[in-house]
Amino acid sequence: MNPTIALTIASLKMYYRNRQAIFWTLVLPLMFIIIFGLLNFGAFSTINMGLVDEADTPASEILTEVLRGMEASEDSDENGVIKLTLGSRNSELQFLEDGNRDIVVVIPPDFGESSDSTTVHAFYAEDRFQQAEVGESIVRGILDEFTLRRAGVERRFLVESRAVESKGLEYVDFLVPGIVSMAIMQMGIFSVVFSLIQYRQQGVLRRLSATPIRPHNFLIGQVFTRLIVSVVQVAVLLGVGVLIFDVTVAGNFGYLFILAVLGGALFLAIGFVISGFAKNEEVGAPLANIIALPMMFLSGVFFPTDTLPGFLENIVQYLPLTFLADAMREVAIQGAGITEIPWEILGMVVWLAIAFLAATRVFRWE
Amino acid sequence: MDSVIRAVGLTKRYGDLTAVDNVSFEVERGEIFGLLGPNGAGKTTTVEILEGMRSPNQGTATIDGIDVTKDPRAVKAIIGVQLQSAAFFENLFLLEIVALFGHLYGRKVDARELLETVELIDKGKSRYKQLSGGQKQRLSIATALVNDPVVMFLDEPTTGLDPQARRHMWDLIKRLRANGKTIVMTTHYMEEAEELCDRVAIIDRGAIISLNTPDTLIDNLLDSGFRKERVGRAANLEDVFLSLTGKSLRED
Repeated sequence: MNPTIALTIASLKMYYRNRQAIFWTLVLPLMFIIIFGLLNFGAFSTINMGLVDEADTPASEILTEVLRGMEASEDSDENGVIKLTLGSRNSELQFLEDGNRDIVVVIPPDFGESSDSTTVHAFYAEDRFQQAEVGESIVRGILDEFTLRRAGVERRFLVESRAVESKGLEYVDFLVPGIVSMAIMQMGIFSVVFSLIQYRQQGVLRRLSATPIRPHNFLIGQVFTRLIVSVVQVAVLLGVGVLIFDVTVAGNFGYLFILAVLGGALFLAIGFVISGFAKNEEVGAPLANIIALPMMFLSGVFFPTDTLPGFLENIVQYLPLTFLADAMREVAIQGAGITEIPWEILGMVVWLAIAFLAATRVFRWE
Repeated sequence: MDSVIRAVGLTKRYGDLTAVDNVSFEVERGEIFGLLGPNGAGKTTTVEILEGMRSPNQGTATIDGIDVTKDPRAVKAIIGVQLQSAAFFENLFLLEIVALFGHLYGRKVDARELLETVELIDKGKSRYKQLSGGQKQRLSIATALVNDPVVMFLDEPTTGLDPQARRHMWDLIKRLRANGKTIVMTTHYMEEAEELCDRVAIIDRGAIISLNTPDTLIDNLLDSGFRKERVGRAANLEDVFLSLTGKSLRED
């Protein structure tokens, strides 16, 4: 058997027998999917709207009914656009202050009765302006319709929108591709850093260097092993997502595996760089964490990067994990093909080239 | 005389330190050749140059006619090594480790037979990390045998072993010689060299200061008028220890 293949098979066996490696690369990401999937922050797309009807006129009743129609129905698990609560001005504004409403709409007493223009007030929570904006535009749209009808104007321009997916996107649909990307990063960086530092410290690499193999036989074996693991990660994590959480995978699975291999290679190269710098685990572990942890929380694994402050978002969009997570999500959720995500692919290839060059410079056997 | 190793003028410097200083010697086919010396004398560096793992600043060495500085990989392919500070993959079974090392030399080996040679066949399904010190050394010898080497290099094969395990290792090394292997070994233990080595080179501060058979070296010393202050008795404390605790291995 070729030495590279023999080393790959041996290292796959060791990977499988190493409980710690299995925990970090499969069990922990699975736990994340299950915990965050059950929490289901799906409500993040629903708008909590408080409605204060100070008019109690036929017109205000119609407005209320229209808004009600956009609510989530109790017996379906589909998320509605809004969640509507009726109440008094004081109590609704209090709810808004407490963070229980995203927007409070106040219908004035003369609504629909006056011939002059009437002002409907909308109060929104500053920190949830996105939901408030959507809520406001919904109300604005309904009021425009009222105005047009009253004026007897016939619509000349119509927008017809059609939902492509019958099922609304839930948080878990967003989460799973992110977690898959995170798992690939963890595997690439941590498994390489720890095993290489260990092999070097214990003298395993020295013993190998006394055999007639060439360094690339060993290194390619290490890379093969981990690329195979990253493909398994995608299969297992997506499988759980699809089977247990009914995650929508709109895209091609083949593309997802291609991304897993590209991302895996990229983070492996970063792992090799770290293990080249670090003499022992006391240095290697913190170094690996300093690189991986910020990406895990900033690169859009758990929440979209556009919720970050502007300056941070500008930096984060260039991080390796952001490219991988965005690409995974584009393919998994939007059904994008590889050619439709050139920016992300380019980002990963550039990072891979940089890390690979650095790795060949800093890697050492002893 | 059929020399399998020829080292001529080997010199290795690390900065100001000359670790190996103009060392020359030959090793005959089928003998056990010992390199003796205090810590830091240059034994391991000399051995590592011959193993093709370090290149000398000066000098040349050939093993079975192959130049170690010009073609270290070809040398590595025909020798077997036991390194002083080395380890194996801790999550592999011994049978897997031996088979893997066979593949590293492009050979399909009978891992069971090799483990039988070093008396580790019972541990074939154990992992490396579960072995005792003596067992690790014996596994190391098994991996050094996978390519049926012309020469074996054993660097301090008994350091850290208890008296039982050490004697067990001696028996194994003698069996290897009986099977026609040429062995170069280093050791701190003089009784070990006396027991095993056909010839020894004594190294100090990087240079060989004496080279001969153990008997000749002892005779020369006695001829020069040396006498021990207290002549040893017919037995020593190690004999007492072994007669009390027995010769069987304790690690299993």
